[in-house]
This record gives sequence, structure tokens and C-alpha cells, in this order.
Amino acid sequence: METKFTRREWLAAAGSAAMLAGCGKSVPMVPSTVSIVRAPAYDQRIYETMRRILEDHRVDVRGRTVVLKPNLVEFEPQSSINTHPILVHAAWEAFQAMGASSVRIGEGPGHRRNTLDLADAAGYFQIVPHFEDLFVDLNLDDVTRIRPSRQFSRLEKLYLPDTVLGADLLVSMPKMKTHHWTGATLAMKNLFGVVPSGVYGWPKNPLHWAGIEECIADLHAAFPRQFAIVDGIVGMEGDGPIQGVPKPVGVLVAGHDPVAVDATCCRIMQIDPYQIGYLRLASGEANSHMLEQNIRQTGENIADVATPFVLPATVAGVGLRRS
Amino acid sequence: MSACATTPQRNIGEKREPGAGRSLRANVRGRSWTEPTAYAALALLAAGETGAARKGLEWIRSAERPDGGWPPQIGIDESTWVTAVVALLPPADLGPAVHARAIAWLLATCGKESSFDYRLRQWLLGNSRPADQQFAGWPWVPGAAAWVGPTSLAILALEKESRRRPSPEIQKRIESGRRFLLARMCGEGGWNHGSSRAAGYESRPYPETTGMALAALRGVVGPKVDRALAVARGFLDECRSADALNWLRLGLLTHGRLPEGFCPPPRLAYRTLPEASLALLVGGGPRGREFFWG
Repeated sequence: METKFTRREWLAAAGSAAMLAGCGKSVPMVPSTVSIVRAPAYDQRIYETMRRILEDHRVDVRGRTVVLKPNLVEFEPQSSINTHPILVHAAWEAFQAMGASSVRIGEGPGHRRNTLDLADAAGYFQIVPHFEDLFVDLNLDDVTRIRPSRQFSRLEKLYLPDTVLGADLLVSMPKMKTHHWTGATLAMKNLFGVVPSGVYGWPKNPLHWAGIEECIADLHAAFPRQFAIVDGIVGMEGDGPIQGVPKPVGVLVAGHDPVAVDATCCRIMQIDPYQIGYLRLASGEANSHMLEQNIRQTGENIADVATPFVLPATVAGVGLRRS
Repeated sequence: MSACATTPQRNIGEKREPGAGRSLRANVRGRSWTEPTAYAALALLAAGETGAARKGLEWIRSAERPDGGWPPQIGIDESTWVTAVVALLPPADLGPAVHARAIAWLLATCGKESSFDYRLRQWLLGNSRPADQQFAGWPWVPGAAAWVGPTSLAILALEKESRRRPSPEIQKRIESGRRFLLARMCGEGGWNHGSSRAAGYESRPYPETTGMALAALRGVVGPKVDRALAVARGFLDECRSADALNWLRLGLLTHGRLPEGFCPPPRLAYRTLPEASLALLVGGGPRGREFFWG
């Protein structure tokens, strides 16, 4: 997917490069744009907000295939555990309106086998017309064995669903949540859901043995054409990603670079992104994708929307809190 | 118990959308998978549709791997938990030698935490063995830990084989697997995927795995099983998932605790081939359930 940069962005990149060359700590790169957009509730305004986000990021999907990947975890429609269906429907409509040749919704939950029942309980059948026709259970999709461009884990084989491998754009649509093992679960961790449980099981335990953080980085490397839209309207704090409590933040965070998007989300949650293992692995030399000077922030300022998330007890003592 | 009017009477043997009502589309795209093929073959055999079952059985035989197990889908170069579902097929229909290899594969497979290598490493590191790792269960994939789903299915297959051909080796694995299940029960009763405590917090049970584990604990009595049966009975009233209701019904039937005349809700959606096949097996009378119990 082609990304076009303005003269201002090139100048900013050149400026960053010059500044960093001086201290020798980072690799110059074109800043990636991450937008923080206020979205106070799951209501009809989401449709316009979503359209605006995608236009601002100049996401060109004309004639392309798009797969939206929400996060579906448990049968708890009243909790903040799953990506809200209205957000996914808004993205579906926006990508359709922007000329995508096909927009599918795909997910492969890691604990529950009855994926469609889970989607039903989460409100997807109610909110998304013809949901069953648009949806692919990634746990049961046809698979192809691939070799990621970079491998971080000890995983010997990586089978992935053909629907996502064949997509021109994979759109990760996670919930903004804390995670009792990794600290935070955002756009990158959401890609665990593309790993087919039909091959790896419920849970996808071979990935745990091969290293969770490293497998997340593998998956990031396996999908070079991504866009991320994080549902931070109501996130989850405390013992996430399942047993935490709702945390209203009232934002959507979006961008082409999942590392930059996740780092921005961490900063909003007041978590230190440099303490998140998978972000360190995937963020390139000298953490260049995570550096604030390499992220062109649009929309709201981080400081204006920053909302400290209560950390899970399992990771509270390891310096995750951002000062 | 008579067959319920809502049991899906559908074209299990044909790979196409079954017409009126909610579709089975989720599993009728793409290449064949071992699990739905095996369940469909079981349902067809139970219905006396041996001709239609034959095609599925031929496919299953062709998918066997050199190690005597089955991959989830042809093209995946590893035998996995689906071997237990294949082993539920009657030897006379699957082929006695093929069936024997499936049983042998199950007997040779256990969770990584029970392997000699892993235990030796933990011992050398001075790590004590957690209480829920004392007994060997079965993994979804060799080289990973044991979980409730594959352990329950393996016990069902071995229990059925044990009634046909008793053997101390099989009995030993069944007993170990059952102890594994009892050790992995959630605090409130019932089972989830197999993690009764996650990161220090009590985890909640799921209806489908509670039903599966109860089915695998046939003949086991005691306060723990009673507690799980009470949880299952509670799930039965509130559950709206065909998959979960299939397993709950089987689990409760196994212990003679399914309420007389119980039928799934009339508008229940059977969305996948395994769901429809299992509903026919569980709800279709004693003949269908014999395919689990032998």
C-alpha cells in the first residue's frame, strides 16, 4: 500500500534525522502519523469520525481487499472485553465507501471455540447487517505455512489464514486494555487472533511456549500492510485482558504503523512503552518506531487525553508506569 | 429421551448450505478439515447413512499421517488433538488397523509439562511441581501443555476403546486424564479451557468445556463432580450456543442428570458442521450416544 508524504512530513523526517544523528541514538525515519480522535460514546457519531480518520490518513483502498480484525474474547456483552461492533461496522462502511473491492471481518478467538456465538453475544449480528456473510472465523480458515520476514520467536512453523494473508490491508481493531502478562494489549497483540486455533488449539499454547512477546513481533513482521484503529472509547484496566474493569478514555487511536500506534496508546494509558517487550522487539533499531520524535501526532495531544490505567498486579512492580 | 423437534435434520453428508434456517456456512468454505469430517461421519453412521459416511471415512483414511495421527487439515505437517475425534469412529468403519494406530498415537501423547525432558529440567532448576501438573493430560498440539478440551476427547476415545479391548495401559492413561481434569476444575465448579487460576485470579468456567469434562468423567462420583454438575445444570438454562448445549447435554446425560424432556431452545442457531453433527448424535437417542460411550 502506497503512503504519500507531504513536504512538511519530509522536512520533519529530515529534521529528526539530523537531530538524532547528533546523539547517535536512533535511526532516521520518516515519521509515522498517529491520530488521537475524541469519541465520547458508541453512537452514530462514530460513523463520521471513522470516515474522517481514514481520510486524514489517506488510506487508499480503491480496488483493494481489506480485512478488519476486531478483538473478540469472551461472552460478556456488558463488559469492555470485546471491540465494540459499532466501531467495526463504521470501519466496514467507511472502507466500502472508499472503494475497497472487498471488506471482510475476521477473528480467531483464543479461548472459546464457538466464534459465531461469541460474535452474536458481543452484538455483531445485531449491529452489522449480513454479519455472517462478511465474517471469517480465522480459527477455521484455510491456512498456508509462511516464514515471517523477521523471526523473533522459537516457533518452528507459522501457519496463517489465507483470508488475512491474501488481504491488501489488515486492519487491527483492538480494545485498549491492560494485559496481565505483556502489560498492554493493543494493535500488535491483537494479531494473536489471526493465528488459527484450528491448528494451534484453544488457547494457542505453542505460541506461549515459543515466547508471547516474540510471537507478537513475528506476527507484526508477517503483515507489512497494516492499519490500526484502537478502541479506546471504553478500555479495560486492572486484570486485563479478561477480568479487568471498564476504563472510559473516550478516544480512538489510529495509524499505519502499529508500533507507533501502540506506543501512543501506552503513553495515553501512562504506561512506559519502552517497558513493553514486544514493542521493543518490533520497534526497530534503537526503538526508532517508538520514539516520540518519530511519531507525527495529529488530533488530540497525549497530555490532554492521558488517563492512567490501573496495572495488573502481575506487572505492577516492573516499572511499567510512565512518569 | 425422545429426539427434540429442534434437532437439526440437515444435509450433513453434503457440503452445501442446508436451506432454510440458520446456515452451516461457517464450515463449508475451503478445504476439508478432519474434525468436522469425523463428526459428520459419526452422525451419518448413527443415522444409518453408511453410503454417505463412506466418503468421509475414505477422506479420513487418506489424511492419516505416518505417525498414526491426524492433522487438522491436509497440508499441515503435524498430528494433533483431532486424532481423538477420529478414534471415536468405530474400528469396523474406519478400519481396525487405522483405528489401532489412532489409539497408539493417543497413548504416546501427553502435555509437555508431563514429559520426562520437561520434568527433568524443572527438577534441575529446583522448581517444584505445581499441583495441577501432577497428572498427564493431552495437548491440542504435541510439544504444548495439556488442556481440558483435548484431554476430555482423548478420554472419551480411550474409554470407548477400553470397553472394546480392555488394557492396563489404556486404563492408566484414562485415570491420569481424569485426575488432570479434576485438578483443573474452576473454584466455583465446572471447567474453562484449563486454567482455573490465571495470574493469581480465579477463572470462570465455560459451558462447553464443563460439558466435555463431565462426559469424560463417566462413572466418577464425588463432591467435585457434584459441584460441576450443578454448574452445568445452571448453564443449561441460560446457554444459547449450540456447541455448548451439545456438550452440556452429553455431560449431564453421562451422569443421568439431564432434566427429563429437555430440548434446546427452538431458535437455536446451528452454525457449524460439528455443532449440527453433535446435536444429531446427542439428541438423536441412545444410538447416537453409543458413539461416545461404546
